[in-house]
Amino acid sequence: MLGFRLLPWEYGVRNLFRRPGRSVLTLGGLTLVVLLVFVVVGFVRGLETSLAVSGDPRVVLIHSLGGGDNLENSSIPARSAALLSASLEGVQRRQGTAYASPELFLGTNVSTEGDAEPAMGAVRGITPAAILVRRRVQVIEGAWPKAGEVLVGRLASAKLGRGAAALAVGRTLAIEGQSWRVSGHFAATGSALEAELWCPLEDLQRAMKRQDISLVAVTLAPGLDAGVIDEFCKERLDLELAATPETGYYASLQKHYKPVRTLAWLMMCLVAGAGVFAGLNTMYGSVVGRIRELATLQTVGFSRRAITIGLIQEATLLAAAGAVVAAVIALLLINGAAVRFTSGAFVLRIDSVALLIGCGTGLMLGFVGALPPAFKALRMPIIEGLKAV
Amino acid sequence: MPLVEVRALTKEYSKGDQKITPLKDAHLDVERGDLVSLMGASGSGKSTLLNMIAGIDRPTTGNVVVDGTDITRMSRSKLAAWRAQHVGYIFQMHNLIPVLTAYENVEMPLLLLPLSSAERRKRIEIALDAVGLADRADHYPRQLSGGQEQRVGIARAIVADPAVVVGDEPTGDLDAESTEQILLLLQRLNKELGTTLIIVTHDPKTAAIARRRIRLEKGELVEAGAPILKRELQRA
Repeated sequence: MLGFRLLPWEYGVRNLFRRPGRSVLTLGGLTLVVLLVFVVVGFVRGLETSLAVSGDPRVVLIHSLGGGDNLENSSIPARSAALLSASLEGVQRRQGTAYASPELFLGTNVSTEGDAEPAMGAVRGITPAAILVRRRVQVIEGAWPKAGEVLVGRLASAKLGRGAAALAVGRTLAIEGQSWRVSGHFAATGSALEAELWCPLEDLQRAMKRQDISLVAVTLAPGLDAGVIDEFCKERLDLELAATPETGYYASLQKHYKPVRTLAWLMMCLVAGAGVFAGLNTMYGSVVGRIRELATLQTVGFSRRAITIGLIQEATLLAAAGAVVAAVIALLLINGAAVRFTSGAFVLRIDSVALLIGCGTGLMLGFVGALPPAFKALRMPIIEGLKAV
Repeated sequence: MPLVEVRALTKEYSKGDQKITPLKDAHLDVERGDLVSLMGASGSGKSTLLNMIAGIDRPTTGNVVVDGTDITRMSRSKLAAWRAQHVGYIFQMHNLIPVLTAYENVEMPLLLLPLSSAERRKRIEIALDAVGLADRADHYPRQLSGGQEQRVGIARAIVADPAVVVGDEPTGDLDAESTEQILLLLQRLNKELGTTLIIVTHDPKTAAIARRRIRLEKGELVEAGAPILKRELQRA
């Protein structure tokens, strides 16, 4: 079918064991390169996924005019929640209760027990209505916070740069100089909420000496879109409110992180480039020591194409082994590792896309690394190759 | 019709400003079943001639016809396929593939031919038996002596039943005892199997097994002290 016969598979496989030291070193180098690729891709995938799943398409955030870029800067009167619940027709209701969650959201200093220095944490003051609007939130340990208590997102410890034990149920935190007992932990399907600390709204207002709130999150009634809320905000100019769909809010955050992602991909390309040189070095070493052998194979009748494919097969086999080892390490050690960033925390994700990119890069390294030495060796006339030492 | 016909073969190449002519207007016929030795001083062109007959080097001018096929005009890939079927090459340094066993080394040329694995197995067993190494089939080259390695090399050269087997100093890297064995083997192959052999050698003892002894002097072929064939052709 190819028009020429390939070298036997065993030839390529056994050549890898010919210089075991060199093969092991190359395997280690390639594994490291692919592992770094996994870290970068896992970082980008984790960041993207975290922001992508954070928005609920049925939730609209109502905040102060101009506060849509950063909700920490938004300030609206506390009575807005009641006003909106009563006035808005597009909000989902059940047994007379509107799905509207007044929230005070801020970044502030948080200390855990024994901390010398506080860390910047994301704190959200909430009411029980939050559980109606934030459908993805699940209390996974402990209980909903009562007065003087705080419910901790499962990535909050990463955001604070503390160990999970520092935020265990029953431990105390200091937020703005006031003590809070950890009542439980929550998960939110990997969204940005998981990096937050939730405490009762009134308690937080009291601690912060604030009367206002940051936003009201409302759930749209089925079949309605955010336009209904937006229209209301534009009609009631006296309230100085604006509405942003929650998905839109997190999409705008993604734009802020575009340079980070670009930098991450650039780093991956540089790392992969270094990997190509590792592959090249190995194959040059391997081919230079076998020039006479390759010439012998040509004398016997194997075509240059067949020998080139054989050399690619060798390099690709080694690269594939490196990719597999790196994938296993990535899945065991990197996948799920928490990373903090300015507005929260997320976990590195080694998902199918990351595996595809990581392993694909590994195979590409083997393929690209084998070509120049193969061409160099096979460009040499057979009779010169046979004279090689 | 001769098995190998070499006509007006010249090889030239440049080295810096110098033009080197290792082979000049060579004419040679080798009959089927012949055993020919090519002797000459270093640089006399004997290996150049052998390599062009084997199809691993190309002449500047002239033709090489083997078994009715002019190989001088073949493309590189066609020439590779032709070599697999028509030429067996015995190397001075044996040139076995170190990661393959004796059996697998002998199998290499057969992988290029349309043969079933059963047919390949049969041919390999016959070839290894012919060189007296049937019991060493599973050995790697590093587990064999120099003489045994060369015998595997000979088995590899004959296993595809090629039209012509060429040897470039086949005993050049062997001790006296191994040389003796290899020479006996080559003679046996020529006599019993009718293998056509062309051997390049420095060694008069090796050349002595040949039925025809040809010398190369400064790129020209001389047999029994006179230019061969060309003179006969001119006479004709």
